[in-house]
Order: sequence, then C-alpha cells, then structure tokens
Amino acid sequence: MKEVISMWKNTRMIILVALSAAIYAAFLIVFKGGIPIIPGITEVRPANVFPPVFSLLFGPAGAWGSAIGNLIGDLFGGTLGIGSIFGFVGNFFLGYIPYKMWGATFGLVNKKDMSQTTNNVKKLVAFEIIALTASAACGIIIAWYLDLASIVPFAFLSITITINNFAAACVLGPILLALLYPRVKRWGLIWTDIMKPEEVSVGVAKNLGSILMIVGSLGGLIVGIMVALGLAGQTFYGFTGEQGQVAVWLSVLPFLVLIVIASFMLSGREQFVEDEE
Amino acid sequence: MNAEIYLDNNSFIHRLDPRTKITIFLLTFIAILLFEDPLWMMPVTFFILLQLVISGSIHNLRRIRYILIVLTISSLVLWNLFSKGITPLFWIFKVESFYFSIARTLLMTLMISAGMILISTTRNEELVLGMIRMGMPYRVGFAISTALRLVPTIASSTQTISQAQRSRGLDLDSGSLVERVRKFLPLLVPVFISTIRNTNIFGMALESKGFGAREKRTFYLKLEMKKADYLVLAFAILFVAASITFSIMGYGQIAGLTRF
Repeated sequence: MKEVISMWKNTRMIILVALSAAIYAAFLIVFKGGIPIIPGITEVRPANVFPPVFSLLFGPAGAWGSAIGNLIGDLFGGTLGIGSIFGFVGNFFLGYIPYKMWGATFGLVNKKDMSQTTNNVKKLVAFEIIALTASAACGIIIAWYLDLASIVPFAFLSITITINNFAAACVLGPILLALLYPRVKRWGLIWTDIMKPEEVSVGVAKNLGSILMIVGSLGGLIVGIMVALGLAGQTFYGFTGEQGQVAVWLSVLPFLVLIVIASFMLSGREQFVEDEE
Repeated sequence: MNAEIYLDNNSFIHRLDPRTKITIFLLTFIAILLFEDPLWMMPVTFFILLQLVISGSIHNLRRIRYILIVLTISSLVLWNLFSKGITPLFWIFKVESFYFSIARTLLMTLMISAGMILISTTRNEELVLGMIRMGMPYRVGFAISTALRLVPTIASSTQTISQAQRSRGLDLDSGSLVERVRKFLPLLVPVFISTIRNTNIFGMALESKGFGAREKRTFYLKLEMKKADYLVLAFAILFVAASITFSIMGYGQIAGLTRF
C-alpha cells in the first residue's frame, strides 16, 4: 500500500486523482436521475466502468479518484449519508484491487507484456476476473457496514452492488481500456510511467495474495449471503429479514480481513517491466 | 451552458469563513439524518431554504431540476414500497410509509441543497484553504477542490459531446438498458480524452508556481474568523445538540413504521 501514500508527492498523480474523481462523479451524477434501485442508497450505475479502467491506467491515483469521485457523486446526487463513509472505502477498493492484481493473475498477463490494456484474450479474461473481484469487494464492504448499521440488508445490497459494479465493467471496461490505453500511454500518463518502482510496495507471494483477494471478495459475498439468507431470514431481492445480526457481521469480517491482508501482499511493481527494458 | 457553480454575490452566507460553512455543512447532515418524521425535519428544512434564498443558491438548484424531479418521484414511490405501516392510506400504501417516503425525499433534496449552498457561496481556493486549515493535507485538499470544480465543466462537455454525437445520428434514448449503456461509449471516450489530455500542461503550470515544492505551503489568501462566524457556529451547534437530544428522547420517529 506504500504507493497509495507516496503518490501524493507527485503532482501529475495528484492531478490524475482530481481528474478521475471529476469524470467519475460527473457520470455518476448524470445517472443519478436515471434508474434508482434504492433511492438515497444506490441506482443503476453505468459510470462504474470507470474505477477499474482508472485503476489500471492511473494506479493509486485511480483508487483515490474512485473514492473521492463517489463521494462527490453522493454529495450532488443526494445520496450522501452514513453509507457514504463506507462508500468511500468500498469505491477505494474498487479502484485499488485491479492495478494491484494485474501483474499477479496466474500468468494471464504475460511478464513480457504487462501493458495495462486488453489487447489479447488472456488479458481480457484477467480483466474480467479482476473486475469481478473488485466489484464483490466493494459490494461486501459497503453492505457489511450498512447491514451492521441496520440500514439495508446484506443479502440484497451486496449482490446489487456487485452486479451493478460488474455489469458496466464487464461490458464496457475492456473496450474502453483498449481504446484509451494507446492515447494515455502516448501522453506518458500510465501510472508506471509516472511513478518510480521504489515508490511502490514490494509485496510478498503475489499470486497467493491474488488468491486471498479472490477468496476474501467472492468468498465473503457467498458466505455472507448464505448466512444472511439462512440465519437472518433475508432475501435476495427484497427487504425482509433482520439486519444488524451478529452472525452476518462475524461471518463476513474474516473475509474483509483477508482483503486487507491481500492488499499488503500484492505489489504492482512487476508492471514496471517496460521501463526496466 | 455556464459550468461555473460559484455565484459571485456578496450575501451574508458568502461572507462567512469557509471553515464555518464546511462545519455548518457537516452539522446539517447530522441534523437531517436524526429524524424519520418529516414534521421534525421542518426546522432544518427552514434553515436550508433560508440559506438558499439569502445566498441566491436556489438558482443553481434550478440547473439540476430534472435530476431533482426524477429523484423526488422515484423516492416517493419506492420508499413507500420499502417500508410498511399499519394505517391504510390508499391501495397498498400506508400513512406511516407515506410519511417516511416524504422524509427520505426531503433528506435527499436537503443534502443536495446543503452541498449546493456550500459550493455556490465558497470559491474553490477558499474551500481548499478551509479544508487545509481544518487539518487536511494540502495536496488532498487540492485534488478534492479541483475535482469539485471540474465536475460541472465535465458535465457541460458531456452535454456538448452528446449533442454533437446525436447530430451525427447517435440515438441514446432507445434500446434495452445494455444497448443504451453501450451507446454511451462514443460519449465516454471523448469526455475522458478531452479531460485527461491536458494533465501534463496542468502539472507543469502547477509546478512552475511552486506546487509541491515544500511540505508546508503558504497562502496568499488569509482566512479570518469573525464575530458572525462564531455566532453562526454557536447557533448551529446548539441547534444540532437540541436535535440530538430530542432524537435520543425518542421524538421524530414514526410510530407503527417498519423499515424494509
């Protein structure tokens, strides 16, 4: 996580935080008036294509941009509230996980071509895996907190956020990334072109970190939903059942811890291969 | 379309210190979130309306009226369905859930209004300095304020690009949800590129003015808390303290309401 802090010393990275936050917020606001799922909490969000794309292109600046952009979107979209605190954290991870996992996707992204674009099938698969993991992580972080605060049931919200995040990223993400990467690269704005390798955390056992991240995110989603459906009487697409149940809280918590541990294990430094050549 | 949200007026709200305005903004949220009965939200509604009128920020709300209308209608309908009551109103709707839907709609519109008042009455540089003086690192404050400033600009360029693409035959209003989302691709790419392309020039401009040269930076702008700031803050704190007390005492809840 070192680069998440060290990037604030770099003027161009700071500008990229601001620009990605502004783009994300602007599109979120445009769609606030679209199709609300739970008014005041969430709505259909095609703008969610941006966090994974920003993340791969701008690294930690994309993570901060997603978090700040979501907060600004909440502010002007009328959804700012208690949930916005964990909305900030969830969206941070939505923009943090993709660039951290990109170089540790079990060989799908070749060590010789770490370019952050979907220029072959393996990279496309890597992108989808990463986007799904990040979407689920964001979903369980926000839903865990809102269930704990007895605002929205875990089962409904976690699956809604995950699908909402992943749908846009899955359909539009690879195309957008492939279209934008060459231009951003030409302008020298890919995060590995701006930051230095020593500013990025070294990481340990990166592939294991990726596995833990997937288990933490998707495992947390599946186990959390099962517990919420079974013990708390919640339903997938409804608001029945009890919230604030210790069982849901305790069953998801270890998976959230796994996500945090995996965040420290993953690096991103391996993507500097082009510079070293 | 004018992308600038700040209104260059000289109202009482405009003259307040940005720290006062940020604090009021945060306190307003606490006050809004305390009650589920719309009647108990009336005092805070009155103060926000008063600020909107005094500052002239109400003109900016008109700019986002379509979003407000959609949010209001959807909120009134859906929160009725997402809550249950015991007293019949009509068809499947209950009195308690109807009140609750009004409260949730008020909550959303008041939050938007509070945010609009803050950025309509506070210059970007004042907002940054206010946040920095309240303990935020100046680089983070700069990023947030730049993003805030750019949102209307990007929204405006989205509108321009949308019109340009429509004139070339792009139909954004038909098709299934997935088809419509896909059709936004010709909008996403130009907006992204037109926003990002000047990053390097922006960076050079900032660095040529010494941005990031030192850990601590000095500011040309000086902030000064005046008597009016202290009075407004004292009133706001008392107001929120009273609201919290009433909330703890159990006032402002809707009897017979079951949320979700």
